[in-house]
Amino acid sequence: MNVRNPNSSGRSSSAIIWIVLAGLAIIAGGFLIATLTPSLLPAQASAQAVEVDELFRFLLTIGGAIFLLVQGVLAFSVVRFRARAGDTSDGPPIHGNTTLEFVWTAIPAVIVLVITIYSYQVWTTTRAPQPNETVAGVVGARFAWTFTYDVAPEDFPADVDIAQLPENVQATLAENGSIQLVSNQFHTYVGQDVRLEMVTEDVIHSFWVPSMRIKQDLLPGRVTEVRFTPIEPGVYRVVCAELCGSGHGDMAGQIVNGNLVGGWVIVHPDEETYRREFLEPETLSVLFPPEDPVELGRQILASGRYPCNTCHTLDDLGWVGTIGPSLNGIGARTQRLDASGHPDMETYLHESIRNPGAYLVPGFGNLMPQFNPEPTQPNYMPEADLEAVVAYLLSQTE
Amino acid sequence: MATISAPVGGAQLERPKLQISQYLRWSVDHKVIGVQYGVTALFFFIIGGILAMLIRAELLTPALDVVANGQEYNVLFTMHGTIMIFLWIIPMWAAFGNYFVPLMLGAKDMAFPWLNAFAFWLLPPSGILMLLAYFIGPPEAGWTAYPPLSTLFSGDGQTLWAVSLHLVGISSILGAINFIVTIKNMRPAGMGYFQMPLFVWAMLAQAITILLATPFLAGALTLLILDRISGTTFFNPAGGGDVLLWQNVFWFYSHPAVYIMILPGFGVVSEVISTHSRKPIFGYRAIALSSLAIAIVGFTVWAHHMFTSLTPELRIPFMITSMIIAVPTGIKIFSWLGTLWGGKIHFTGAMLFSLGMVSMFVIGGITGVMLASVPFDIHVHDTYFVVSHFHFVLFGGSVFLIYSAIYHWFPKITGRMLDERLARIHFVLTYLGFFFTFFPQNLLGMLGMPRRVAVYAPEFQGLNVLVSIASFVLGASLLILFYNMYISLRRGQIAGPNPWRALTLEWTTTSPPPAHNFIGDPVPFDDPYGYGTEAAKAYIDAIERRLGPSAPLSTDPRRHEAPVAVGD
Ligand code: HEC
Ligand SMILES: [Cu+2]
Ligand SMILES: [Cu+2]
Repeated sequence: MNVRNPNSSGRSSSAIIWIVLAGLAIIAGGFLIATLTPSLLPAQASAQAVEVDELFRFLLTIGGAIFLLVQGVLAFSVVRFRARAGDTSDGPPIHGNTTLEFVWTAIPAVIVLVITIYSYQVWTTTRAPQPNETVAGVVGARFAWTFTYDVAPEDFPADVDIAQLPENVQATLAENGSIQLVSNQFHTYVGQDVRLEMVTEDVIHSFWVPSMRIKQDLLPGRVTEVRFTPIEPGVYRVVCAELCGSGHGDMAGQIVNGNLVGGWVIVHPDEETYRREFLEPETLSVLFPPEDPVELGRQILASGRYPCNTCHTLDDLGWVGTIGPSLNGIGARTQRLDASGHPDMETYLHESIRNPGAYLVPGFGNLMPQFNPEPTQPNYMPEADLEAVVAYLLSQTE
Repeated sequence: MATISAPVGGAQLERPKLQISQYLRWSVDHKVIGVQYGVTALFFFIIGGILAMLIRAELLTPALDVVANGQEYNVLFTMHGTIMIFLWIIPMWAAFGNYFVPLMLGAKDMAFPWLNAFAFWLLPPSGILMLLAYFIGPPEAGWTAYPPLSTLFSGDGQTLWAVSLHLVGISSILGAINFIVTIKNMRPAGMGYFQMPLFVWAMLAQAITILLATPFLAGALTLLILDRISGTTFFNPAGGGDVLLWQNVFWFYSHPAVYIMILPGFGVVSEVISTHSRKPIFGYRAIALSSLAIAIVGFTVWAHHMFTSLTPELRIPFMITSMIIAVPTGIKIFSWLGTLWGGKIHFTGAMLFSLGMVSMFVIGGITGVMLASVPFDIHVHDTYFVVSHFHFVLFGGSVFLIYSAIYHWFPKITGRMLDERLARIHFVLTYLGFFFTFFPQNLLGMLGMPRRVAVYAPEFQGLNVLVSIASFVLGASLLILFYNMYISLRRGQIAGPNPWRALTLEWTTTSPPPAHNFIGDPVPFDDPYGYGTEAAKAYIDAIERRLGPSAPLSTDPRRHEAPVAVGD
């Protein structure tokens, strides 16, 4: 900035040297910032994360350089151009410099142009459809995540004979013979191209897996989708990023006593492990459900098909929620009968789930979702499931 | 009754007296209204600040401890955000605008004095409604109030919240009309648009933004209220509505609202940096016009707040427009640096906060460009990265500049100087407290901490403790400002008409100015920032001869002869 007298050529050539040196230092600083900072990011667990982090590093290089430029000029001016004690004179009457103003309009314009083009390119690659993608479902409900998988007959364990399935299970098979798995955690394996189709039962939630660098809102009235391809085995937290009410902070994967609770993405090292540790045992447990309703109820609740776990505590299943009353010993909580006017605990529990607003446990608000008997309603819970759940809850007497 | 030992002939003979009662009544004097706005806004700043301290206390640990449940926490940040935006920053700029736009134009008052008073008096009821909402099922859907959380899942306080914002909205629309008419019609002879002080330019750009944007807030709020109380389904897909309708209309107002909150500040920093470094503003036209450019382009970027909800195909156009905004913003920053370069920088409280703003705001600008980049935004959207970004803009930008404006103009409003030593302490604590409150939040967001949660993963605790402690320092630093204002009002050094030896018209009258602002018609200097010339010096000396001496320019009181108050 040639605001000082640029008369003598010696001065101006040394000024150029200084400008070049400062420029180099600034660019080097930008690179330094960009190399050091990303080590602070969470694990890089998807192909998308690699692309996004590369873009981030680029943004940081530029941002870091601009940061150093502005702070540098500022610091230099503050030291160099401070008014000395007693100096009440004015600075030189300079009103501007067209060249300089042109430069500092043009350079930022070019920079943002480059950033825009690069971002667009990353954007298209990270969400490009893949030929063999697996589709799974995500349901967000206050305040839990549920994942659903359709398992086709050809993916059933080899020794399953469909004709041998119990009748009530036969009835639940889809037209093409597939069944639905439901789980709190999403299981996948390295290299599987995943597309998630997401719906919400109530308010807006936002499905975020920080380690995958993906995020997408779940919007009432719409099905939204998100794609990713895991590249590193491990367990990765799912987080709800859109305010959804009192339990918003709980709508994330947690570790309780060393166990994974709530939403997690579990990436198995390869397809074989995925089948052995998740797909086959889970499929079998759905194809051959326990006969005992108590066992069945336990299995249903443990699968995470319903979002009870974020709101309730239940030691038997490792739940630690505090938004609703603890369910430890709920089967013996007969003091509710008088208060609610139900004849027995079975009816009481049935009604607490079908119609939770009708009677509120003292000290709690009307926060529990109503679980409805019809598939067309939100928070659908078939009567068969409910009966098993009630049977299980009745067995929880201490 | 005291006099200052000034050469006789000055109008500034009486020691400024503070008459509290005149501020409690209906008054159509723009200066009284300005102070009324300012005091009201500061009151709500304190409330919003206390809420922020509670939020940070809760976040000292990963579990719930200060508040009883998530809902109470949601109320805290909902009220914090709403109050800080609508009852602190926006009214505070109305305060400075009201007080100084007429003075800087050499006018006797605003164009519509009665309307001006009316606009102010909408605020107290609005604030009361907002506070009452707390008691009837408090609003807990965040200041953004996304349906269906704010419609089907919230208590009655949410309705009151919307009604209260309606009142604020009407107030700011009326204020904006008044500013536009005043600036268009009441400039003195010889002051074209390009001779106006940059603060006036900024207020003009802000008023245009308010006028065009705020009706959309009103529309959104009306639909929200209807959905809540009369069974309509504008935002309910079950009845054919759409949740994104709210987001689109709300952000069509609320993105420009960012400029409503920062543009006047850009005006302040231009005044302060030029005056306190004794050098003409660098690139006057570029600064003036970039305000307009920001205001206009600002209307095309709203959906960058919806990068995780908007239809994917529509995200790219909004990335492009959002990137464009960086250019006029950059022009401003570089122009301020150009102004400083070669100047005589005086480290007054006003200057320190303006310098601090340039240094902090640039971080908000950089993270802003990052957020405009869709793929990166996807990762940090709705996280602490965003919380950090907008606090760098709204606190590091707007609030720093409100402080700067207070130090710059308090002497004009009260006739007394603020203590510069306290100002320096205030600045250092604010600057450090601010940086360590908000910078680590960038890291928290990148690492995976979402915003608006009372409970978080244990690995984030270290950074959160740092943030909370810094925020307590930041909160405490405000007490120094209040103490400074208090002792200044009681026994501050008499300011005199023009303590900063500035060239804009508000300094060509007594401090505080008389009822109709000027004795006779003031003659503007042809360039509001024409420092460094003999003509400028002569103009300032002439004011001094006419109105009496002022407190010294330099921050070091020993170097200068101050006007001494005698006889008290
Ligand atoms: C959003 C949080 C939430 C979810 C999800 C939730 N509940 Fe509740 N639940 C509550 C609250 C709050 C209460 C107390 C108020 C009431 O009685 O409705 C409650 C009460 C109950 C009660 C009565 C407890 C007592 O002490 O009498 C039972 C039983 C119960 N829930 C079971 C379930 C089951 C089973 C599920 C999952 C299918 C579930 N809840 C899901 C919040 C929730
Ligand atoms: Cu959620
Ligand atoms: Cu915006």
